[in-house]
Amino acid sequence: MKDKENEKYCGNCSYHNAYEYPSKVFCTYRLVKGLNPVVSTLWRCENWTPAMDKCFCIEDAKKQSRST
Amino acid sequence: MRREDFLTEPVKHIKLKPKMTVNELINQYNMSGSFGAGRLATACDIYEKMLRDDGCTIYLGLAGAVVPAGLRMVITDLIRKRMIDAIVSTGANMIHDFIEAIGGHHYKGHWFVDDYLLYKYHIYRIYDIFVPEEDFIKADEKFIQFFREIATEFKDRYLATHEFAWELGKRLDDPNSILRAAYEMKVPIFMPAARDCEFSYAFYLHSQMVKPEETLKIDSFKEVPVFIDLFRRSERNGMIIIGGGVPRNTIQHAAVTARKGIDYAIVITMDRPETGGLSGSTLEETISWGKVKREANKVMVTGEAVMIFPIIVASVMERLGENFYREQHPKGGIRE
Repeated sequence: MKDKENEKYCGNCSYHNAYEYPSKVFCTYRLVKGLNPVVSTLWRCENWTPAMDKCFCIEDAKKQSRST
Repeated sequence: MRREDFLTEPVKHIKLKPKMTVNELINQYNMSGSFGAGRLATACDIYEKMLRDDGCTIYLGLAGAVVPAGLRMVITDLIRKRMIDAIVSTGANMIHDFIEAIGGHHYKGHWFVDDYLLYKYHIYRIYDIFVPEEDFIKADEKFIQFFREIATEFKDRYLATHEFAWELGKRLDDPNSILRAAYEMKVPIFMPAARDCEFSYAFYLHSQMVKPEETLKIDSFKEVPVFIDLFRRSERNGMIIIGGGVPRNTIQHAAVTARKGIDYAIVITMDRPETGGLSGSTLEETISWGKVKREANKVMVTGEAVMIFPIIVASVMERLGENFYREQHPKGGIRE
């Protein structure tokens, strides 16, 4: 349970939107910084900020990565 | 009036037959002349009159999510066949046109659904239509690219919303796109509330990425004289309103400002007048403002536009035939 709470990924960061669900997300923080905004759902950077509400991105990205 | 003046035309009962065409059914509705059937048949008659009137400029007002629901090609065809001369739209309908133009989709869904589940899957709902968030995001990505290109091209010049719409259309290659067709046919799409949609989000991101002086500049007041000029130069003006809202009032207000009034009016809405909101206001109410002429050919069809509007268009296309040709109105289109 504790591990789950500590999970920090692009897929539960407040800057993310779906891009290629569930594997890739679009990061508006990176976009405005002039960086490639399309990143892996299961990646994260030092600017990670908690999303206001949880989505299924991480759960589904993990399922997908296990099945491939 | 005498008593017999009220009892001149009996209701003729609707007679159906196999393989009826759309217009044959509408003609039967006309025979009935009653309730929604009568109004729908009257709307077809009025639209036909507008199109056959050599001096009439036709304005289409679009509010409500009719593009995601399936009216995209109907509107594109009307532009390409010159069956409308100008569009006044919510920005959102053009957003949804754009989404499809770059390969996105709207999906058949259901109104009875767990919306929180959709939220967790990044899916947006428009009544019974589902739109994946990534299709919006990919549109945003393109908008940001296009906004920068347009801003660079026009530098400090402010664009009116119809110029902005043409600039977007110029950059799309989908022939089924409303924006693309409008650009090719030089039909203006005015979006008086352009920022009230995804354009606003894309603009916010764009504004974070460039210096303030390098942002796209749009001025919806700039087109006011251009729009009024259309009414002034037209012998007669006709409007077809889907929904109402800002697009309807933009058209009606221009008619007043031009001191012209509207000669033909079709409004398709499900709204009611008691709230005082424009979308449900009766065409009789508009007479008090001088927006629609007292003697205008006018009808309000109470119904859902995605169901009603294609029937009107199909019926009128059938009446006009394949070879019907109509020039741009007013002659020469818009003047800057």
